[in-house]
Amino acid sequence: MKRKKNIRKKSSSFSKLSLFQKSGTKFFKPCPLSGKNPPVIDYKNIKLLKKYLSDSGRILPSRVTSVSQKKQRELSQAIKRARLISLL
Amino acid sequence: MNCYEHVFITKGDLTEGQSKKIIGKYEDIINKNSGKVVKTEEWGLRNFAYKIKNARKGFYFHFKFEGVAKTIAELERTENIDEILIRFLTIKVKKHDLETNYFAKKEFDKKVD
Repeated sequence: MKRKKNIRKKSSSFSKLSLFQKSGTKFFKPCPLSGKNPPVIDYKNIKLLKKYLSDSGRILPSRVTSVSQKKQRELSQAIKRARLISLL
Repeated sequence: MNCYEHVFITKGDLTEGQSKKIIGKYEDIINKNSGKVVKTEEWGLRNFAYKIKNARKGFYFHFKFEGVAKTIAELERTENIDEILIRFLTIKVKKHDLETNYFAKKEFDKKVD
């Protein structure tokens, strides 16, 4: 439980991007992979996958990229497949 | 029948005749074991992101096919034996996406020439 609390605190500091934002209002960025005509998440689509990797090649957390839970799962699966055949 | 995608990587020092032979060989294996090749793609010579078996680059080949469990078992069995192959990957998909080719670099180069 303790750990969970810590994570929550962190994410709340992340969600407040501007100093001048009113406290209490949530900062919300829509998922870039959902909505109308979303890009296809596929292990062959390296161009897209590279956006969600850090410089050292690790998968970025969804709290940074604001990808939805479902899409994050698909994304990590696709990235791991691309790694297997040495595309990433 | 299920839809599958299959990628395999061969060693980097292949001649054109050899690569055609390899494609024919594995298409035959799929077609003979109650499967059906829908589309074949050649991604060409690509650099690896990391070293595999001391190789830095290799030829990529891509199949989209329909088949059953037996098809894949036979395909992967022969690929495990084949020494020219470095790595392969089989994935089950719900539907074949026949339009987009993410590695259609060669055709683009030809148009420029």
